[in-house]
Amino acid sequence: MFWFILRRCGSAVLVLFLSSVLIFLGIRALPGDPASVMAGQEASQAAIEAIRKEFGLDKPLPAQYLDYVGQTLTGNFGRSTQDQLPVADILAERLPVTLELSLLAMVVAIVIGVGAGIVAAVRRGKLADYVATAFGLAGLSVPHFWLGLLGILLFAVTWRVLPASGYVPFTEDPVQNLQRMILPALVLGTGFAAILMRQTRSAMLGALSADYVRTARSKGLSEAKVVGAHALRNSLTTVVTVLGLQLGALISGAVVTEQIFVIPGFGKLTVDAVLTRNYPVIQAVVLVTVIGYVLVNLLVDIAYAFLNPRIRLSGGTRD
Amino acid sequence: MRPSPKVVAALATLPLALAACGGGETSNTPAAPSSIASASTDNRSVKDGGTLNIALNADPDALDPSISTTLVGREVFANMCEKLYDIDASSNLIPQLAAGMPEVAGDGKEVTIKLRDGVTFNDGTAFDAAAVKKSLDRHRTWEKSARAADLAAVSKVEVVDPTTVKLTLAQAFTPLTAQLADRAGMIMSPKALDSGSDNFGASPVCVGPFKFASRTSGSQIVLDKSADYYDAAKVKLDKLVYKIIVDPNVRAANLKSGDVQVADQLATNTVAGVQADPNLSVVSGGGLGYYGFQINIGNVSGSTEKPGAVDTPLGKNPQLREAFELALDRDAINKAVYNGLHEVDCYPVPIDSPYRPKDLTCPKQDLAKAKQLVQASGVQTPIAVTLATPNDAVNQRLAQVIQSMTKEAGFNVSVQTAEFVSVLEQGKAGKFDVLLSGWSGRVDPDGNLTNLVTSQGSNNYGGMSDAGIDDPIKQAAAESDPAKRAELYGAAMKKAAELRGVVYLYHNLYYLGTHKTVAGIQYFKDGLPRFISAGFAA
Repeated sequence: MFWFILRRCGSAVLVLFLSSVLIFLGIRALPGDPASVMAGQEASQAAIEAIRKEFGLDKPLPAQYLDYVGQTLTGNFGRSTQDQLPVADILAERLPVTLELSLLAMVVAIVIGVGAGIVAAVRRGKLADYVATAFGLAGLSVPHFWLGLLGILLFAVTWRVLPASGYVPFTEDPVQNLQRMILPALVLGTGFAAILMRQTRSAMLGALSADYVRTARSKGLSEAKVVGAHALRNSLTTVVTVLGLQLGALISGAVVTEQIFVIPGFGKLTVDAVLTRNYPVIQAVVLVTVIGYVLVNLLVDIAYAFLNPRIRLSGGTRD
Repeated sequence: MRPSPKVVAALATLPLALAACGGGETSNTPAAPSSIASASTDNRSVKDGGTLNIALNADPDALDPSISTTLVGREVFANMCEKLYDIDASSNLIPQLAAGMPEVAGDGKEVTIKLRDGVTFNDGTAFDAAAVKKSLDRHRTWEKSARAADLAAVSKVEVVDPTTVKLTLAQAFTPLTAQLADRAGMIMSPKALDSGSDNFGASPVCVGPFKFASRTSGSQIVLDKSADYYDAAKVKLDKLVYKIIVDPNVRAANLKSGDVQVADQLATNTVAGVQADPNLSVVSGGGLGYYGFQINIGNVSGSTEKPGAVDTPLGKNPQLREAFELALDRDAINKAVYNGLHEVDCYPVPIDSPYRPKDLTCPKQDLAKAKQLVQASGVQTPIAVTLATPNDAVNQRLAQVIQSMTKEAGFNVSVQTAEFVSVLEQGKAGKFDVLLSGWSGRVDPDGNLTNLVTSQGSNNYGGMSDAGIDDPIKQAAAESDPAKRAELYGAAMKKAAELRGVVYLYHNLYYLGTHKTVAGIQYFKDGLPRFISAGFAA
């Protein structure tokens, strides 16, 4: 087991190294010089050179890469070229915002998606099924930005029941925080809910026609118990798998939602940084995201190995 | 567990119903700009206190006057960093931190500025001549400064006494006062400069009605009322919160919902919707800047490098450039792309500028002449032209209109879209035929010409280079008589209009949306809302 974990950690480090090289080279392949973006239209060549020097952009690429790795290893991602604030502080400010948004969207998706999926399966071929299926199709097809604008128009401008956009930290004012997060979470969660609905529906349909459900019914169990305790429980494995797979997509979907609702999260930060060629921020954002993915995968691998001994032995390792 | 079919059906039709509402919102017929009050001061009386939420259309760069380069940055500075001079509602230069207009001597090479007495910075430090020298020297000599060019004429700043500074100039430079009415004239607290060094922008301290409180990157900037301000009695609001809302529809929606009480730079297609709201009003400002396109006629290896011959039909042939311009109907462009809300023009200096000769006229669309010129050039039609444009919806629409108008004259324009940053790079490097570009504008005409149309100017992407442009602009900067300056600028602009390295289409007006409960906002030609005397109506 020890060797298995060590080997996994080793490959995780390799993945991190390769991604850091890719990120580093990838953003430098984009047209547009960060020093002249930062210096602005009015700047002299001397000012551009000074900025290039300050951010180490005048050094050869290998030296820039070493600076970047050195800074990253010490947890110091440098300063943002846009507003000169430390990147580490910006990340610490932004990451929890996107995590909160994704989490709330997931709750929305589970409540709506799983609920609608169950209803559609139980009422198969009836109106409720058609409505839920239509919702599923619409949810998958409607783009986030459109739904977001519509939500703002309806809830903030016409009915004035929710704020139009913006963000208040939970620690500052929990009520305001939730008021401002409901709409974005609904928008972000809808597409995901549609996927969950379809998965739940098909899994439930399979389960409802299974022998053990017939047995449960013939035992005289109430319909609620048959659906809730037997069919749903056995369908949940599929749902949970999809849930895990979609988490990444949810975070990337936050990019658009955050732009529309002016939420200072990770997604908005990424887009802004790319548009202004803010190298230190792009590097940090992508790296932190990669670290997140690698860590989750590592934990999953280890968890699988714990649960299923065949996995840790299949690689020929012994513990 | 089972939702009522009625509820489900109602929910299912909701998006369609909403789509219908949304469509109605933007399809209103736009009002003509004349129905919108122009740059003005609202004089209703206001009560003490309150927080004003303002939507900004972009995230400002560093809040450091020496390096800041964005218009939104200037909007924030306008309320927390006073300058030696300012402009009034009629765009006249007036003293702000200076006690009077500068005294010029020695053939214009010695400029003495008297300073206000009894002024303190927002950290309690005294404002004096030494502080002014420290800031001006930083603007002038700091290697990262974006102000060095603004103050290039200044060779020395001396403290005469605590309330007097003397600037020695290498040559006479009349636009200096106008430069000191912008970021180059902002004075920073010497104490904050000493402790913040290069990172002053993270926690800026100046003299101003409001002081910097906090900034959440990409989200908001908060300013609090300053207790140290010399005219604190005039300031009514407790707090300004600038919220960065880039999307124009969301900005307008926030204004309508009351989440913000002021929204800057409303998109022209949202102005009518805001105007139609009984709780809101729109005022127009701006007009100092311009928008148009540059034609590459000499930029072969970078705008600041020596110009050369550009081997494209438009680059080689002045007749074809004239035909290209004559194919355009500026009024139709203004209507089609901007709902008629900008000020059509073909020169870079504002229409009502005292530095603009009255005899400047714009060519009207003349397709017959355009076709004739194309034919006379002998170049085979359709003439292929690439048009580089930033990839936002409005610029793309403008590009398409230009494409269709010039088609009739025999041009085949292919529109190449890219992000704003990439388009600027293309411009600087000279890798374009025609490129959409604009300028936010300055009070003094020099700021709209030098660097933009003179040889090897950093923003002269088209690579125009002609003594008939360079010389009068240089002479005008040293000239103090306004009539003579106007004559010189007129000559330069006429020459530039002949060469067509830049083709100007309009002066961009800014539309500020406000709640009717807010009064006392000053909104002038520079497009910077000033909240010194603003507040909620009593």
